[in-house]
Amino acid sequence: MTKAYRNSNTDPEFGVDSRYPSKTAYQSEATALMEARLERMINMSKDQVIRAKLMQLKFKMEEFIKQPVYEQHYFFSEFLQSYVDIIYSKRTVFAKDIGTTPVKLSQIINNHRPPQDDFILKLMIHSERIYKDVCEFQKEIWYQVYFHEKLCNTMSTQQEWKPKLEQEVYVSEPIVKYGENKK
Amino acid sequence: MVIVKTSTGEKHHIVITPVNTNDYKTITKKRYFFDWKKENIFEVYKLHLINSNDILGLISLQRIPTEWRVHVRLLTVSVENQGKHKEFANIAGNLLAHAAKIAISEYAELACVSLRPKTEIAKHYMEKYHMIATGLTLSIEVPEILNLINRFDHD
Repeated sequence: MTKAYRNSNTDPEFGVDSRYPSKTAYQSEATALMEARLERMINMSKDQVIRAKLMQLKFKMEEFIKQPVYEQHYFFSEFLQSYVDIIYSKRTVFAKDIGTTPVKLSQIINNHRPPQDDFILKLMIHSERIYKDVCEFQKEIWYQVYFHEKLCNTMSTQQEWKPKLEQEVYVSEPIVKYGENKK
Repeated sequence: MVIVKTSTGEKHHIVITPVNTNDYKTITKKRYFFDWKKENIFEVYKLHLINSNDILGLISLQRIPTEWRVHVRLLTVSVENQGKHKEFANIAGNLLAHAAKIAISEYAELACVSLRPKTEIAKHYMEKYHMIATGLTLSIEVPEILNLINRFDHD
């Protein structure tokens, strides 16, 4: 950026050069900033911590459904566990709040049973109410996470299920390759 | 996320995505003030309208996990979007909110976004985005960082 341009420009949003001029400047400013932040963190309320964690969870779910993750991992139950543990000190209370049993909840969180539609629908209603005063939240994201995980797991385990199933699938009325029917 | 056309007040949806190697061919110093090619070793994001490749703003970030912090190295809006006669408003705010989303996503309640602007423009960032000054560094943390995200992260 030229000095003349900078001097003639009055809009503070035209650009910010925020790079540290040296490693020494970075180190001393980083230390001062950290000290000040630690002071402020002491006054952070439990409510603020919960809000920040809920927002983090939302972003992590949004990130997950954006791209294929070809690894066998139980994201739905991991996100569910985070959600419950952020808000409740006891999971049994959450189970009661959504009308399920602590055993069923525990089985879903520990991947011993898949969540039924009824469970996900109640989870959607619960999270809609919780997020209402936190940030914008698409309640259907729970379904998106669940099905995205299923899809990713299915595709990542193709080598296991495809060879056997291929023997059982036939195409008795194939579509002629494009162009070949003209011959 | 939306930006506002200043002449009509209409809202336009935008996306913020990583800058790719080809983008650097169009990112000139004349339109985007800095030599952005030098930033290609950092995380650089571009803001553009949905269905358009025209870059309206850029931000370069550095994640500092040991300090639970995302530092804004460079931020700019394209030349036609600065000053009194800017075409779109809220470009810088959306770019800052994007940095804030990354910080929250990484560090939750410990998240921090920092800036180190020239003294003459620091006041603007403190007033408009509620950043706090510590020496030369401006920062935004919980709870203000959550408010910043909510202010810009919606349709």
